[in-house]
Amino acid sequence: MSKKPSSLRRNRIAANTAVYVLLTVMSIVWLVPFFCILMQSFRCESTWMVGYILPQKWGLDNYIYLFTHKVSENNALPDFVQWYLNTLIVALANAVCQTIMVTLMSYGLSRLRFKGRKLLMNAMLVLGMFPGFLSMIILYYILKSLGLTQSGAVPGLILVYAASSGMGYYVFKGFLDTIPKSLDEAARCDGATRFQVLYKVILPLSKPIVIYTVLTAFMAPWADYIFASYIAFGTSSGYNVAVGLYSWLTKDMINNNFTAFCAGGVCIAVPITILFMCLQKYYVEGVTGGAVKG
Amino acid sequence: MATVKLTNVKKVYDKHVVAVQDFNLEIADKEFVVFVGPSGCGKSTTLRMIAGLEDISEGTVEIDGTVVNDLEPRDRDIAMVFQNYALYPHLTVFENMAFALRLKKMPNDVVYQKVTEAAEILGITQYLTRKPRALSGGQRQRVAIGRAMVRDAKVFLMDEPLSNLDAKLRNQMRAEIILLRQKINSTFIYVTHDQTEAMTLGDRIVIMKDGFIQQVGTPTEVFDTPLNLFVAEFIGAPKMNILKTKLTKEGGKYYVNPFGVKIPVDGEKGELLAQKNCGEREVTLGVRPEHIVLAKDGTGIPCTLEVNEMMGSELHLHVYTEDGTRIIVRVPTLDLTHEERAALVAGAKVNITFEGKVMHFFDPETEKNLLY
Repeated sequence: MSKKPSSLRRNRIAANTAVYVLLTVMSIVWLVPFFCILMQSFRCESTWMVGYILPQKWGLDNYIYLFTHKVSENNALPDFVQWYLNTLIVALANAVCQTIMVTLMSYGLSRLRFKGRKLLMNAMLVLGMFPGFLSMIILYYILKSLGLTQSGAVPGLILVYAASSGMGYYVFKGFLDTIPKSLDEAARCDGATRFQVLYKVILPLSKPIVIYTVLTAFMAPWADYIFASYIAFGTSSGYNVAVGLYSWLTKDMINNNFTAFCAGGVCIAVPITILFMCLQKYYVEGVTGGAVKG
Repeated sequence: MATVKLTNVKKVYDKHVVAVQDFNLEIADKEFVVFVGPSGCGKSTTLRMIAGLEDISEGTVEIDGTVVNDLEPRDRDIAMVFQNYALYPHLTVFENMAFALRLKKMPNDVVYQKVTEAAEILGITQYLTRKPRALSGGQRQRVAIGRAMVRDAKVFLMDEPLSNLDAKLRNQMRAEIILLRQKINSTFIYVTHDQTEAMTLGDRIVIMKDGFIQQVGTPTEVFDTPLNLFVAEFIGAPKMNILKTKLTKEGGKYYVNPFGVKIPVDGEKGELLAQKNCGEREVTLGVRPEHIVLAKDGTGIPCTLEVNEMMGSELHLHVYTEDGTRIIVRVPTLDLTHEERAALVAGAKVNITFEGKVMHFFDPETEKNLLY
C-alpha cells in the first residue's frame, strides 16, 4: 500500500525530468542564433564574419555606425535611421488602418444580416487562398503609375497593406461571435446607435482580440521583405529595415557591414519584444464573465 | 406611460417560416399584459417586434399613437429586460444602470439620484460598485430590472425574465415584480411560458400557439371560460383532463356519459347548453383536476390509482379508467382522514365524479368551446 504512491511519484518526477531536458535542449537550439547575433553586434575587432561567437573586443561601434553612417552626404538621415523610420511609419500606419478596418468588418459580418453576406465571406475566403505574391507584379505597375514606388514606397506600402487588411477578419469575427447578441440588443434598447454599441459595449469586451490585431498588423510590415524590396527597388530612401539591411549582405558590402547588420537585427527585435511583453497579459484575460447566465 | 396597438402584425422568417400572424391587440395605458404560450409560439418574436429588434413583415405597431415600424429601438422609448440579463460585463452595477442615462447625456447628479433610487427599491445598493460577474443570478436579474427602471420608458418589455432563476427565487422575484409594477405604474408587456407567472402577474393574458392568438382575457376569463381546447389545457396546473364522451338529453336535461357512467349537466352549464340549443352529440369534455372529487359512496367512474404525488397541502392522484384513459385528480389533504390517505397506494381502486357546473364542452373537430 505504501509503495504505490511513491512509485507514482517517482514516475512523475522521471517524466517531468525528461520533458524539461527535452525543452531545454530545444530552447538552446532555438536561442543560439539570437545569441550569436547579439554577440556579433558588440564585436569591435573586425566587421566581417568570423569563426567564433564571443567578441574579443567589446564595444558599441556597430550601433554608432548604424546611427551615423551615410552612404552619401546628400542624405538627410543616416541610412539605417531612414530605413527604420520608413518601417516604423508603415507599421504604425498599418496597425491603425488595419485595426479599424478589421474591427468594422468583423462587427458588420458578425452582427448585421444583409444580402450577399455569405457570398462576400466566401469570396474573401477564396481570394485569401491565392498567395499574395501573385498580385505583386500587377501591384507594382499600378503603384508605379501612381508614383508610389521607389522614393514613394512608404505611402505605397501603407496603401497596399491597408487595402487588403479587411480580409483578415476571421479571428476577430470569431471572437465577436462569442459575445452574446443580447448585449447589443440591450444597448440598442438603452438608446445606443450601432456605432455606440460597438464603441461602448463590444470594443471594451474585445480588448484581447483588438490587441492581437494591432500586434499582427504592426508585425507584418515590420518584418516584410519581399514586397518592400519590389516596391522600393534600387532606391535606398524607400527601403524598410529588412530590405536595407539585406543590401549590406551583398558580396562587396558584407565584409564591411556584417557586424552592423547584426546590430541592426537587434534594433529591430527590441521594440517588438518590449511590445509583446507589455501586452501579453491581455492575451489571456477573459472578460466576458458575468455578462449572461453562464 | 403609453398605449400599444398591434394591427394585423405578421412575421415571416426566410420568406416562408411564419412566426406570427394576424396579431391584433390593443394594450391600454398602464396595463400589464402577459404573452404566454409554448416554445415557438411567437410570443418572444412579437415582443421583439414591439422593441424594434425584429423587422415587422406586415401590419403596424403603434406606441402612443405613433407607428413605430421603421423606428430604431432607441427611438421607441422602450425599456427591455432580457432572459439572460444581458448586463454589460465590463461595467459596474452602477454604470450598467446608468448606461442609458449617460447616453442621453443626463447630468451626473440626476444619474446618481435615479440609479441610487432604483437600487434602493430593488435592494441592490450594496452591490453598486461590483461587476456583474460577482453577483448571483437573482442579483443580476435585479440589476437588469433596475437598468430598465431608471429609464422611465413609455413601455416596459420583459422577455422571460425569471426563467433562468431557480424555483424559489422565481417565486420571490414574481412577488417583487408585482410590487415593482405598483411602484412604477407603467405599461408592461411580459413574455413567459409559465402559466403561473401569467396568471399571477397579468391584468390580461394573451395565449398564443403557432403564431396565432388563441385567446385574450383576464386570468379569470381564460381560466373559467377557455375559448378552445388548447387554452383549456394550457392554463391551469396540472392540466385539464380531457374525456371523449357523448352528450345526451332526457326530458329537457342534459347528461354526459363518460365510461358508461351517467352524470347530469346541472346548473349554469346545463342552462347554457339549452340556450345554445345543443342537440345530442359527441363532445370533448374537459374537467380540471381540482374539480374532480373522490366518490366515497361507491358511485361515479371506477378507476385504479397509478401514482400518488404528495404535494403538501394536496394530493395529485394519477388514476386510469377501465379502458386505460388517464385522469389526474387534485384532492386537498384536509379532505381525507388519515386512514383514507393511507389507503391511497398504487393499485388501489377509487371512484371519481364531478359536477355539471365544472364541465367544459368542446367540439371534437374544431376544438372550440361549445358554450362561449
